[in-house]
Amino acid sequence: MKEEVRLMKGNEAIAHAAIRYGCDGYFGYPITPQSEVLETLEELMPWETTGMVVLQAESEVAAINMIYGAASTGKAVMTSSSSPGVSLKQEGISYMAGASLPALVLNVMRGGPGLGTIQPSQADYFQATKGGGHGDYRLIVLAPSTVQEMVDFVGLGFDLAFKYRNPAMILADGIVGQMMEKVVLPEQRPRRTEDEIREQCPWAANGRKNLRKRNVITSLELESSKMEEINNMLQARYSEIEKNETRWEEIGVENADYLMVAFGSVARICDKARELAAEKGIKVGIIRPITLWPFPTEAVAKVAMGKKGVLVVELNAGQMIEDVRLSVHDSLPVEHFGRMGGIIPSPEEVVNALVEKIIKK
Amino acid sequence: MKEEIIIAGFGGQGVLSMGKILAYSGLMDDKEVTWMPSYGPEQRGGTANVTVILSDEKISSPVLDKYDIVIALNQQSLDKFGPRVKTGGILIYDTNGIHKHPERQDIKVYPIDAMEATLEIGNSKAYNMVVMGALLEAMPYKLPMENVIKGLKKSLPERHHKLIPLNEQAIEKGRTLI
Repeated sequence: MKEEVRLMKGNEAIAHAAIRYGCDGYFGYPITPQSEVLETLEELMPWETTGMVVLQAESEVAAINMIYGAASTGKAVMTSSSSPGVSLKQEGISYMAGASLPALVLNVMRGGPGLGTIQPSQADYFQATKGGGHGDYRLIVLAPSTVQEMVDFVGLGFDLAFKYRNPAMILADGIVGQMMEKVVLPEQRPRRTEDEIREQCPWAANGRKNLRKRNVITSLELESSKMEEINNMLQARYSEIEKNETRWEEIGVENADYLMVAFGSVARICDKARELAAEKGIKVGIIRPITLWPFPTEAVAKVAMGKKGVLVVELNAGQMIEDVRLSVHDSLPVEHFGRMGGIIPSPEEVVNALVEKIIKK
Repeated sequence: MKEEIIIAGFGGQGVLSMGKILAYSGLMDDKEVTWMPSYGPEQRGGTANVTVILSDEKISSPVLDKYDIVIALNQQSLDKFGPRVKTGGILIYDTNGIHKHPERQDIKVYPIDAMEATLEIGNSKAYNMVVMGALLEAMPYKLPMENVIKGLKKSLPERHHKLIPLNEQAIEKGRTLI
C-alpha cells in the first residue's frame, strides 16, 4: 500500500506515530503547547482498534507513575507534557532510570522558569541531558527539527528505550509541536502479545509462568556495595549508548569558515541564516545534534577543526554551548546567541549575531 | 518556486484556517509546505497570524523576518507586517477599519474590500475564502484551482463538504478584487 502524504501538526503526528508503532498506552495531562497529543489520541480512539490505552491522568505526577507501573510489565508506554509538567515528572523519570525501565517521554518545551509562557523555548536542555531528577542517570534525548522527525523519533525512541532498558525523551519545542508539515506515517505494527513480551523482556513483572524466578522492579537498594554495582552497570550501559547511538546532521560544513551549532527547530532557522549569510559572502556551516545525549562530541570537534569560530544558537541563555565548549576545548572561539521567554529569533538576527559575536571579533 | 507568506488579522477572521487550506492546496500541487501559527492567548480577540511557506525544495526556517507576500486584515497587522514585505513583494490588505494606509513604493500593494465582497455573496463566514481568492490571483505562483478544491476537501471535515461550492464562489469573487 502506497503511504499517503499528510499534513499534520507535530503534536498530532506524535499521536498517530504512537498508535502506528504499536504503543500499549499513553498517560498524560494537558498543557500548552502539546495538548494536541492527548486530544488527537482521544479523537483517534485507538482502544477500539489496536487496544492501546489512552488516559488523561489526574496530574503529571500520576501520569509518570502510571508509565512506571505499565513499563514494569514490559509494555511500550509513553507520556507527554511541556516544561512545567515535565518538571513534575522528574521524580518518576529518575525512578524509571534507576529501575532500568524503557519508556518514552515527550517534552514540547515552553518558556520558563516557573509557569513561564506558552511560547517556544529550549531552556530544558540542562534538565533533559544533565539530570533533572536526582542521581547519576542519563536519558536518551532525541531532538526533532521537523514534523516527520516527530513521527520517526517515536519509533526510534521506543526502539532505543527497549534496546537499552532506559527511558528515552523526545525534546521538542513549541515550534515543531505546533507547526504543520508533510508527513509519511510508518505502517501499522501490531502491539506485542504477552508471550512476545515474556520473550523479549525477561525482566518484566508480568506474571510468573513455569515458576520462573520472581522479577522485582525497584530502584531501591539499601546495601551500598550493591547500589554501587547497579551504578556501575548503568554507567557501562551509558557508555554503550554513547558508542552506538550518537546521531547528528551536518549542513554545508565543508569549505565553511564558520560553524553554527543548533538543535531542533532552531537548526532550521540557522539553515535559513546560512543561506542569507552566503548571499553576503559569509561561508558558514551547521552541525545539528540529533541526540542531545549522547552529545556528538567527536563530530563537533572534528567539524570545528580549522574553522574560525563557532556560534551556538539556542532558545535559552546558553545551555548546549557548555557541551560544545567541552567538545572543542579552547581550540577556537565559541560564542552564544539565544532568545528567551518564548521569543524566536529570525534568520536575520542569527546572521547579525554571527557577524557581531564571531566575525568582527 | 518559493512563496513565503504571512496572513495576519484578528482571531476569528479565519486566518489560521485560510492558511491551512492554502497549505493543503500546495500539498495537493506537490509542493513542500510549512504552516506555522501564532498560538496562545493572542488568539483571543487579539491578533492571530500564520506563516505558510510553499516551495519546490525542502523548507528551512518556518520562522521568517521578511515575506514575499503579506496579507494584513487589520491595522495592527498592517503596521507590524507591512514593513516586512520583501522589496518587489506583495502586500494585500483589507481596507475596512484602516486609517493609516501603507506608503511603500518598492512593493505591489493591493487594497481590497473583502468584507464588502463577502456581503455580496451573502455569507459572512466565507470572508477568509474571498481573501484567499485575492491571494491566489495576486500570487506569482499560480496554484491550479483543481488543487485548491482538493485542498479544501482535505482541510474541511466531511460534514462541511457541502460548503465547498460556496467556498469556490468566494474564491472566484476574491479574484476579482485584484
